[in-house]
Amino acid sequence: MKKIGTRIFITLGLLPLLLVLLPLFLDGTPWPVAVRNYLELNGVKDSGAINLVSSIYLGFRVFDTLGETIVLLTAVGGTIAVFTRSGAILTDGYYNSNISALTDSEKQMLLDDPSFTLAGEKRLSHVLRTHLIEVVTGVLGPVVLLFGFYLMLYGHLSPGGGFQGGVIIASGIIFLALGNRIGHVNFLTRALVLERIEACAFLLLVFASVIGTAMGEGFFTNPFNFIPGNPASFIVLLNIIIGLKVGAGIGFLCIALVGREIV
Amino acid sequence: MIERILLFIMIIVGFWGIVTKHNIIKKIFALNIINNAVVILFVLEGSRIGSNAPIMESGITHIVDPVPQALMLTAIVIGVCISALALSFAFRLYKITGTFDVREIKRQVHHEA
Amino acid sequence: MKPEDLLFAPVVLPLIGAALVIAAKAFLSRKVVKIVEYIGAFLGLGLPLMFFAIIYPTISNGVVIYGIIGGWHESVGITYQFDGLAWLVNILTYSVCAAAWIYSLDAGPEGPSFTSVFLILTAALSATIITSDIFNLFVCLEIVGISSYILVASTDKPGASLAAFNYLIISASAMVFFLIGVYGLYRITGTLSYQGITETLQTLPDHGGTSAIISVALIIASTIIRVAIMPFSGWLPDAHALAPHAVSAVLSGVLIKVPLFALSRVLSFIPSGASAGQLLGYAGALTAVLAVILALCQNDAKRLLAYHSISQIGYVVCAWGTAIHVGVASSQGEALMTAAFLHAFYHALFKGLLFLSVGTTVDRAKNRDVYTLRGAASILRASGERIPVTLITFLIGALAITAIPPFNGYISKNAISYALDGTILYYLLFVAGVGTVASFIKLSRIYWQKPNEMISTKPQPVPITAHISQLGLALICLISGVIATPIYANTKNLLTGEYPQYVTNWYSPATLMKTAVIVMLGAGLYLLTTTKIISRLLKKLRELPSHFESLFIYFSIGTAMLVGWMLWFK
Repeated sequence: MKKIGTRIFITLGLLPLLLVLLPLFLDGTPWPVAVRNYLELNGVKDSGAINLVSSIYLGFRVFDTLGETIVLLTAVGGTIAVFTRSGAILTDGYYNSNISALTDSEKQMLLDDPSFTLAGEKRLSHVLRTHLIEVVTGVLGPVVLLFGFYLMLYGHLSPGGGFQGGVIIASGIIFLALGNRIGHVNFLTRALVLERIEACAFLLLVFASVIGTAMGEGFFTNPFNFIPGNPASFIVLLNIIIGLKVGAGIGFLCIALVGREIV
Repeated sequence: MIERILLFIMIIVGFWGIVTKHNIIKKIFALNIINNAVVILFVLEGSRIGSNAPIMESGITHIVDPVPQALMLTAIVIGVCISALALSFAFRLYKITGTFDVREIKRQVHHEA
Repeated sequence: MKPEDLLFAPVVLPLIGAALVIAAKAFLSRKVVKIVEYIGAFLGLGLPLMFFAIIYPTISNGVVIYGIIGGWHESVGITYQFDGLAWLVNILTYSVCAAAWIYSLDAGPEGPSFTSVFLILTAALSATIITSDIFNLFVCLEIVGISSYILVASTDKPGASLAAFNYLIISASAMVFFLIGVYGLYRITGTLSYQGITETLQTLPDHGGTSAIISVALIIASTIIRVAIMPFSGWLPDAHALAPHAVSAVLSGVLIKVPLFALSRVLSFIPSGASAGQLLGYAGALTAVLAVILALCQNDAKRLLAYHSISQIGYVVCAWGTAIHVGVASSQGEALMTAAFLHAFYHALFKGLLFLSVGTTVDRAKNRDVYTLRGAASILRASGERIPVTLITFLIGALAITAIPPFNGYISKNAISYALDGTILYYLLFVAGVGTVASFIKLSRIYWQKPNEMISTKPQPVPITAHISQLGLALICLISGVIATPIYANTKNLLTGEYPQYVTNWYSPATLMKTAVIVMLGAGLYLLTTTKIISRLLKKLRELPSHFESLFIYFSIGTAMLVGWMLWFK
């Protein structure tokens, strides 16, 4: 009885907010067309990209994209930090240094094992995958990577872009890791390599944002507005940087988290 | 109109889920639901003024509004990052207390802190 | 290169610092990473202060630097606006963040990940106040949020993770409603910049009607959660009490104020914003009183300070809300706005100082309970402090927050009270002042008498960085109290564009008498709380269960009240 009473009380408490939202949802004002009309006429000319959504988030409102990249960077770093602090041993030696539950030989085995490959006798927990996954993902991995790069590079001409391509690159990296032969280490699936790619990409992005200031034209301006060249080149450059950053970041997160736990 | 009512119901369900569910993972599910509802709302309403995708190949006119789509790209990424961080907190709390129930966690944590 | 070209220095320099630290962490060895951390922190926290000095002459002449990032057309680009308010809030941010980072070098969490997240937080706080675009405000608030969740959880205490989780959930849900508010505004106006929204709403019949009011109310309510006035403050005591000391200083000092001042620009969208200011003013005054009563009950030293943060931000919101209600252009509005900012700035300084000093003390004494901890002064002396620096800095902070001359708290609290003279708010703030004195007498008791138990091992020595940061903040508290009149005059000029016409007499007999009365009543209230009946009542108040759902129910009811108030008092 008391439980139902509490539930009713809570529901009644949440009701005011939802009633407040209702007029906003029932509003029948027609959606404004001014910006759409402006972009239809001038979008391609101003920014150089045919894909208008790319021209907005990499051209007109590129500061928001910088903020979004920062959120992704902080979230990946913070998630790994919280996991290491709670005693999980992540791969490639990312672990909380007070693990005292293992014998020395076990610790050495963990620290030596550099890759994500699951050799049955080396893992502490039971093997969870089948040969089917290893064969299929191993073959598909490079194809998915290629598709990810295509999406990343063609973001200004067709649907796609840095974020979309980056996420697919991350899944390509995970496919490669899942499909590794036993004992084989793939360069792209080492957590340290991915961390380095992400750090470089973020540094390049911040420097790309100050190119405009260095040229005296203000923060985050497209340098190709003032030097001869296609303005879309800046968008392609930003797509590549963001795609590498997102791909490496999310790949790093997933691969690092697959590690082993010490109970 | 019917879509907006459905999205409103989705927001109700999501918000109700965040508040009343006791399992941390379910709260994070509900947060995802409410984030997705808002994303769909923006993109849906922005699409009503046109009929073509905003890719300006030759001869394309009458496109949908590209601004909500660009804004929602940012919002989706931010939502995913928040979910990832929330799940890491949930994992940490699980390692400390052994349960996902918020009331139990609160009781145990207040004994220790 | 004109100074205006370097406008984004306070945003970009910390980002460059963070990027360098992250790259160093991935590539270089640990010792070199430490050097890069120092370089990054100097770039990100030190160089912007030079930038502010360079740009001050331009800003103080009343020039508002307004532009669009990237130089695009106005309807599609992101606009920004750097005026006196932005300059002042940035100074607040950077002074507290620099002191807290210096403190964290030895005492707090350290390492490249902490430094990089800290620098990103600073950059985002700077961007929040410079931006003039509603969706960019959303992105900046999210960056501030996500870095603060990570910083709160960057300690091994189990309670900190739960506090960070609660803060995350309430904040993330509030930002969803912020987005719904942005949807409403974009639907009506078709633009996202503050200027564009205001102008378009003026051309509409009835200023956009109910939809505009509801959208603005949703944006206000979502931002006010971060400012943490009651009833939206449920997440704050846990988060600020359980975080590491340097992080508590930044959270209490800066993170609850920057969204408030960013909100000043949003409230000018529609005329109903003025009535929203009135409601927030009342809520602020009530918060000041209620929070100080709750602070009196607490037994954990840092929770007491966290409740005091809620109370003092109530002062600021009270003055700020009333300023917006009477109109920022009127003379009372100008005085109130200046007083609100001064109190926000001084509170950031002395609250940061208090968190750092109390943090040093409880770390040495290994006990945070104000009822059982005694003799901290001798413990500090045993840990190698020959001159009792921490005790002195704590006393300076306590005298500042209880508004004793000549410290800066005296100036700002009296500026607020003077501008609110005659209204009921004045009496509420008076009561809150009495409560503040009482609870700080209670807190300072941890330093006197002899220690309750003998400390078996010699406590760790206090690091030099802790001394430097505490002394730095204490010195600024003292100086800003002594040279009050020029600071008040210049702040008013930056905020409103003109210097005050007459000089306020800070040390008039009436004000000094009021201070003496407050101190006496405060001492009396403290003695009252040591009696058995009242202390049992306080214990009951302290142990009231706090539910997770109550955060959301208060958010819901508060938003509905805000909408109702704004619709009623159109």
